[in-house]
Amino acid sequence: MPKMITEQNLRLLVDTLVKEGARVVGPKQAGTMTLYEPLTKGDDLVLDQLPRRSAKEAFFPVCETILSFEKKEGKTTVLDVDVCAVPETVLFGARPCDAAAPGILDAVFSWDYKDEFFLERRRRTTIIGLACTKADDACFCTAVGLSPADMKGSDLFLTPLEGGGFSCEAPTEKGERLMARYPQLFNETDNAKPLPPAEPAVEKLDLEKIKTWLDGNFESPIWNGIADRCAGCGACAFLCPACHCFDINDEGTADKGERRKHWDACGFGKFTNHASGHNPRDIQNKRYRNRIMHKFKYYDDKFGQTLCTGCGRCIRHCPVGIDIYEILDKIGSGH
Amino acid sequence: MCEHGKNIYMPHLATIEAMRDETSDIRSFRLVFQDEQVRESFTFRAGQFAEYSAFGAGESTFCIASSPTRKGYIECCFRSVGRVTDALRSLEVGDTVGVRGPYGNSFPIEEFYGKNLVFVAGGIALPPLRTVIWNCLDLRDKFGDITIVYGARSEADLVYKHELKEWEERSDVNLVKTVDPGGNGPTWDGKVGFVPTILEEAAPAAANTIALVCGPPIMIKFTLPVLEKLGFSDEAIYTTLENRMKCGLGKCGRCNVGNVYVCKDGPVFTAKQVKAMPQEF
Amino acid sequence: MNRAEKLETAIPIDTSCYAAVTDAIRNEAARILSDGTVTAVVGYKAGRRAGTTMPAIVTDPEKAGDLIFSPACVNNLALYLTKAKKDVVKKGRIAIVAKGCDMRALAGLMGESQLKREEVFIIGVVCAGVKGSGAGNGEPLTTGNLARKCRECTVHTPEGADLTAGTMPSLPELTPVEAREMARLEAMTPAERWEFWKEQFSRCVRCMACRQVCPFCYCEQCLCDKNRPQAVESTPRPAGNMAWHIVRAMHLAGRCAGCAECERVCPMDIPLNLLNRKMAQEMKELYGFETGLQPVEKGPLAEYKDNDDQSFIK
Repeated sequence: MPKMITEQNLRLLVDTLVKEGARVVGPKQAGTMTLYEPLTKGDDLVLDQLPRRSAKEAFFPVCETILSFEKKEGKTTVLDVDVCAVPETVLFGARPCDAAAPGILDAVFSWDYKDEFFLERRRRTTIIGLACTKADDACFCTAVGLSPADMKGSDLFLTPLEGGGFSCEAPTEKGERLMARYPQLFNETDNAKPLPPAEPAVEKLDLEKIKTWLDGNFESPIWNGIADRCAGCGACAFLCPACHCFDINDEGTADKGERRKHWDACGFGKFTNHASGHNPRDIQNKRYRNRIMHKFKYYDDKFGQTLCTGCGRCIRHCPVGIDIYEILDKIGSGH
Repeated sequence: MCEHGKNIYMPHLATIEAMRDETSDIRSFRLVFQDEQVRESFTFRAGQFAEYSAFGAGESTFCIASSPTRKGYIECCFRSVGRVTDALRSLEVGDTVGVRGPYGNSFPIEEFYGKNLVFVAGGIALPPLRTVIWNCLDLRDKFGDITIVYGARSEADLVYKHELKEWEERSDVNLVKTVDPGGNGPTWDGKVGFVPTILEEAAPAAANTIALVCGPPIMIKFTLPVLEKLGFSDEAIYTTLENRMKCGLGKCGRCNVGNVYVCKDGPVFTAKQVKAMPQEF
Repeated sequence: MNRAEKLETAIPIDTSCYAAVTDAIRNEAARILSDGTVTAVVGYKAGRRAGTTMPAIVTDPEKAGDLIFSPACVNNLALYLTKAKKDVVKKGRIAIVAKGCDMRALAGLMGESQLKREEVFIIGVVCAGVKGSGAGNGEPLTTGNLARKCRECTVHTPEGADLTAGTMPSLPELTPVEAREMARLEAMTPAERWEFWKEQFSRCVRCMACRQVCPFCYCEQCLCDKNRPQAVESTPRPAGNMAWHIVRAMHLAGRCAGCAECERVCPMDIPLNLLNRKMAQEMKELYGFETGLQPVEKGPLAEYKDNDDQSFIK
């Protein structure tokens, strides 16, 4: 039975969880923007903005230590990181494009070798999704098969209601458990109407057709011009909810230091550079081609999923105005 | 209750038991795992690679250059070209390194039983074949003729010189060694010429033969047509791709050639597989 | 980021001349592409989303009609003439659409022998200003959403171009924002300033957008990518972030042309141009040097003079 929660109670839920020692993450004002950041009080929760960076960092942080090492009296020891120390986490207010992404990333972080840093955070996190009632001109979730009201990836899903408050649905057991734990905060629905979902102003993309085109067009001349203007930064990848490439580096000295895993981007010139100096993706067009191919072909080939949720961040923040929707639309419509 | 598995980025610790300078900038290590249990249980197949760490500098990817038939240690061979390899080079016998692996696929040695083998290698690309060469030599009666064509820019650039001598002296191996024109000193007793040319001269028979080729991209580019001319089919030619890697686990996203992850689906491929990939390696 | 700091009631800025500028760019581009004067024109074209633009590299005279000029033409296209964009440069002799402020970068690149005047055809455009970050795509240009750099612009009409398109309208009075922000930082104690920047840099994710769009970050081997030895830690953590931004500010001192592209593109809204401006101010105070519109062979940090200030040596 769907329930509803008032905005006041939603903030109270944050306060309660924080008091109980859970890690609570949600959109919070950080300088000039909002970011998904740890919340210390319910009042900090911002409910009307899409955070600048995606929610993936709740599972896959910008930078994390994966082990530490120490050399004492000639003997080197390596210390593991205790992933059990990951606190129970509730991620509040994840937009459908952000809530759907971690589930897509499960595939790459768990096929064969299991990246427990990511997976343990996944197990210990409850995602509270939030339907969008407004979209901007960069939003294109509907074009890649999601929607502003899509519950994919959410354990609990909130839809804003006319006159305030949210209706709550719990598509997963995790979500049900959270609701059951705080019955006093959730009410029976009073038949208030949900606000209509946002309507991104884009046509649906034919992902199958795009995939088929990508299958046969690695060498298409279209790639030659597509990214001439690409500056080769990592803004698109670092804001993306689904980009998962990373680098591993040691910091410190041989006597004491840490090994860290941190975000990397296929748009960087050195990303695939060999020690010999040979670089398989030696020009920006090849790197941009890899970005499109990885999201709409390779990831599909490997895991049967598309590595894009249409959040539009790459479009909004590309320094040189590269528009992935436009490119896909061009490909899908036979340019 | 914590149900997580182990940290896939944790290396085993290994001690440098011995080292040898193969050339002025290429060094090999013999590594022994410090944990007795790992020493016993660590197995790998020829062609697989590992992530080697110099703590404080990071990890670097090389093949395991010793043969899986030789137990109790592994060997690797690297050129000092970056932060990690510089740091590895600065280590001494008795020092500790990290080793993660083995990763990737391997040469299907069992499928080669009863066949002749032709190894073609250039420069520092001998190690990925050396593991197979010793693997096969240790099981010598399972194979037919074994030919090794190995070349480098100059005499000084040949790696595993002492083993070249050993192979040269064996009657059950046909070693053809060569250096690029101008790379030969006054006492050089091998061939002079580029590997593809020397291979064509040596003209190993293609019937019932597998060719294993490793070398710089330019060498591979010119060697494949020679093998084709000699009658080798693309299914009978094996090579390894050496893309830049970080995780070795199919996650960090940099080693892919098209939808093929070199770290997971490779590094060993047949020429047929390589030709089917997008030409971006 | 200007949104939060709207200073005054937004007064519309007259950009009606941009239509004439657009026509002039198109005509000139078509002419010089057709007669072989150049092989490519680097300009702006409209993006899919109404009101947006993007850099465009046009090689076909038939496509000259795609070029536009509007308040959304924020990019400093000089980037595309540097060796960081070899793929563009190798197309041959290139024409570039340049606003007055972009001309400084071109002059700087010429001074650093990265560009020869005769190798480039400059289509100068008069510019009443472009939009700042945070401005809506659909909004017209106003004193409220104008880019910070434009509030203190002194080069609305470029000089030294092969052609200058448009006539400058009169502008409403503009109060400087950045100068005020500079003054605020100057008034801080060193400890407070350190805290300010620490906080700002803590958000840096090392996407390198600041470096990648900078016309002067054309080094083939950036110091921050070097790891033998490693000077700047590569992970997005406080130490490396701080080191990177300080190194960057130092390397641009006396070179930065003030286009503020680094600040515009920063997805984390770090006010990087404040650092650049501070360095420019130091250059002026120490050496009486200002980056300008004339190529200068050597900046003050690239040469030694007997009368250089040495009071910093203690």
